[in-house]
Amino acid sequence: MTDDWGFASELDDVGGEIAIVGIGDADYSKASGRTTHQIAAQATERALADAGLTAAEVDGIMYVPFSGDQFDDAAFHAHFGTSHDLWVSDKGGGMVWAGSAPYEAALAIRSGKATCVVNTFSVAWATQRSQMVGGPGQVHAEDLCKQNLEVPFGWFPQPVYFATIARRHMYEFGTTSEQLGAIAVACRRHANLTPGAVMRDRPLSLDDYLRSPLIADPFRKEDCCLISDGGAAYVMTSLERARDLKAPIVEVLGVGVGNSRTGAYWSQQGAFTSTPQVFAATGAFAMAGIERDDVDVLACYDPFTIVSLMQIEDMGFCPKGEGGPFVEGEALHFDAGVLPYNTHGGMLSHAYVLGIAHVVEIVRQLRRQAAAQVPDAAVGIYGGYTGPQASTLILGRR
Amino acid sequence: MQAEFPLPDVHWEPARELWKGAARGELHMPRCDSCGRYVWYPLPPCRHCGAAQWTWTTASGRGRLFSWSIVRHAWIPQFADRLPFVTGLVALEEDPAVRLVTYVVDCAPPDLHCDMPVRAVFRPLRYPGVRGEVTAPMFAPQRG
Repeated sequence: MTDDWGFASELDDVGGEIAIVGIGDADYSKASGRTTHQIAAQATERALADAGLTAAEVDGIMYVPFSGDQFDDAAFHAHFGTSHDLWVSDKGGGMVWAGSAPYEAALAIRSGKATCVVNTFSVAWATQRSQMVGGPGQVHAEDLCKQNLEVPFGWFPQPVYFATIARRHMYEFGTTSEQLGAIAVACRRHANLTPGAVMRDRPLSLDDYLRSPLIADPFRKEDCCLISDGGAAYVMTSLERARDLKAPIVEVLGVGVGNSRTGAYWSQQGAFTSTPQVFAATGAFAMAGIERDDVDVLACYDPFTIVSLMQIEDMGFCPKGEGGPFVEGEALHFDAGVLPYNTHGGMLSHAYVLGIAHVVEIVRQLRRQAAAQVPDAAVGIYGGYTGPQASTLILGRR
Repeated sequence: MQAEFPLPDVHWEPARELWKGAARGELHMPRCDSCGRYVWYPLPPCRHCGAAQWTWTTASGRGRLFSWSIVRHAWIPQFADRLPFVTGLVALEEDPAVRLVTYVVDCAPPDLHCDMPVRAVFRPLRYPGVRGEVTAPMFAPQRG
């Protein structure tokens, strides 16, 4: 397979310019009746308190416009009772943007448009699920190509897409159910250790996984992410300003963004068993000036076990196709000394808040304040993903 | 969502020829007038050359099963009566970069394997509580 199925975005070098100085989790839950604004407001309050900043000191806000209900500048002012000028960017939020928002923030801070930027993402899909067509699949069902050429044949929603990708990965590379299960088990163990994780009290062994029924063969329920209410926020400012704040400094070392030319049409993607991390990771590692061996902890957007496995391969932690053997056993556990992965439990077992909590967890790891703490963690990575795009965010403890 | 969801809208212009062909038992696919490659999905521009004109032609209906899933859970209620079903992707013989989403029929799940030769068969799509039916290309193992 040639690599003309996608490409890297051209990014300026922003390595070492900004830091993440505040993190905040909203409460994570099943259906709760909360709105996305309430969730994001709680996360933002907590992130500002963590940073030791007031709402009046925030002069930039980032969100994603995709669901029309995110915490934008109007929602920010309404909640905090403020009215000052804000730099506003719709290139924030969760998913791929949880990883690329720091790039946009760094450019804004460099050019003087903002000095202190909050990125939030919140979701209430557990509450809203019964009103959606195929739950989070609704956005795909609304695409006319999918509505007319995929859904009529039962190829819908996301669990079916990624089960099909997993089957092909198994065929091409010999990946096994036990290997996919190892990812689910590692995430669950981490969630069992993490306060607030939705699956904290629900242990999962590999035997449990293998006994679980197939719902979209080769996937079991445990290969698929939760549906949750929740969200998180993080605060960014210049490295210089970060020195005056109370938290240990976690700086943005590198960012990369990769793109698939077939967008969200997974059925047509040239490299069917790859993600655009192929294109994102290279630039981020170059910007950060580090190697794969320097990484202490990794968190990837993990809607399905196979998406974790593919991103680990595509970021270069092992050769393509060797992700199965790489993740076997306890290799991804926080205390195994190989590649600590989704140490809060990820979207499989912590909460399905589309990656924003992953970034918060990486910051927490680098501050050495995580529940499943990786000893001496100094470099951590978030891998963001949407299908059309992937992002790599490299953070370092200063 | 269109009224007959999850049936296709056979009047949706970009794919109308596919359904017209299927009604006659033929697999009609769009080929770019400029570079000759198949254009799939059938929205401009051609992703191989950027052109915007194509002609629907009759394909052999042969291909290989690229990958599939056996679905045992109804994510939308209209699928409940079909469970379990096999849905997946077929790479066209004329251009394996084109993958048709389809139901795989006339094949027991243990006999499925990636890259097995398959051929188009034309069967009615029907869903409970949804008005009408649409003849659609599904794929079955090639015999012999």
